[in-house]
Amino acid sequence: MSEALASLLTALADDELILGHRHSEWTGFAPHIEEDVAFSSIAQDEIGHAAALYSLLAQRSGGDADGLALGRDAAAYRHAVLCERPNRDWAYTLARHWVYDTADAIRLEALHDTADEDLRALVTKMSREERYHLIHADAWIERVAAGPVEGRMKLEDGLKEAFEEALGLFEPIEHEEKAVHEGYLPLPSSELARRFRELAANKLDELGVQTEIYSRSDEAAEFVASSSGDLIASGDEHAESQPERARGLGGRAGHHSDEFQDLWDVMTSTYRNNPGATW
Amino acid sequence: MDVYEVFRRGGHKEPFEHCGSVIAPDSEMGLLMAKECFLRRREGEHLWLVRRTDIHSFKDESLLEIAADKSYRFAHAYRDVVKKRDKARERARELGETG
Repeated sequence: MSEALASLLTALADDELILGHRHSEWTGFAPHIEEDVAFSSIAQDEIGHAAALYSLLAQRSGGDADGLALGRDAAAYRHAVLCERPNRDWAYTLARHWVYDTADAIRLEALHDTADEDLRALVTKMSREERYHLIHADAWIERVAAGPVEGRMKLEDGLKEAFEEALGLFEPIEHEEKAVHEGYLPLPSSELARRFRELAANKLDELGVQTEIYSRSDEAAEFVASSSGDLIASGDEHAESQPERARGLGGRAGHHSDEFQDLWDVMTSTYRNNPGATW
Repeated sequence: MDVYEVFRRGGHKEPFEHCGSVIAPDSEMGLLMAKECFLRRREGEHLWLVRRTDIHSFKDESLLEIAADKSYRFAHAYRDVVKKRDKARERARELGETG
């Protein structure tokens, strides 16, 4: 199969799996019981999308979906660093949920025109659930943003954190040029990033959230656009060892934080205990 | 006049179920209408009346469709686990007897 398509599927699947895993850590701990069930369902949806994407990848390249999801070394994952960050508090979790699903909506909209027929069919299916995820995220942040002030302040802190790393979601994937050229990725990541910033800025304006939250992600965007080639090529930087550069980049090249190593240990421990077992 | 949806239950442990609607000027009159229309033959022992405009639903029903495989939310997806557990118990018993 095309290495560009494999790269695209891996990035998409890894995003969904790792964020789904973080979401699932709220099971039993969410602020109230109904939301506990709702958020756990969303976590399952995301992991379900990952499973479908890994299955497609496995179909084309051999191997099996479980092995792709849980049998790789941590450095082989290509999700954005944003997805692996610990949940911190409910406000950060909501902010990231909103940032991710806003970004995902833009990405999926573009992928409706992907050159791969199977991926196109999958995107149509996934979009239905992702549309609901975004409604859920919008509903939460609209309410928290409307006050009382303590919740609003926590939400703003969470948005600040999430936005600083949001553009990692639109960092060029490996073989990006090829993926665009071959039509698997109908729009380059830089264009998706532009659309995301525009949409997110409008929404935050409506909520009356401070503009510096997303203006900082603008600076990061310029960085991605101007030196995206370097970013993939210079392979040795660590997601956290680059304070002067925009945070949250490097995930698409396999550079993850120590926090991801902890997540990976937990997420894959059962699989590693008995690879190939059916559950 | 408003449209009211009527719910009734057969017994105090039964769930309320929708049984029809009435048109009435207010809830008090609506309850009287509902009692005569839907409880005149001992069909139940309690009534609820809800103004139709107070009932909320998704405007877009496609949001309720399940888009992907959700077999893991059903018990039948875990039948293998039961078999494995039985096997493990048996093995543990055998080990107990020989050991």
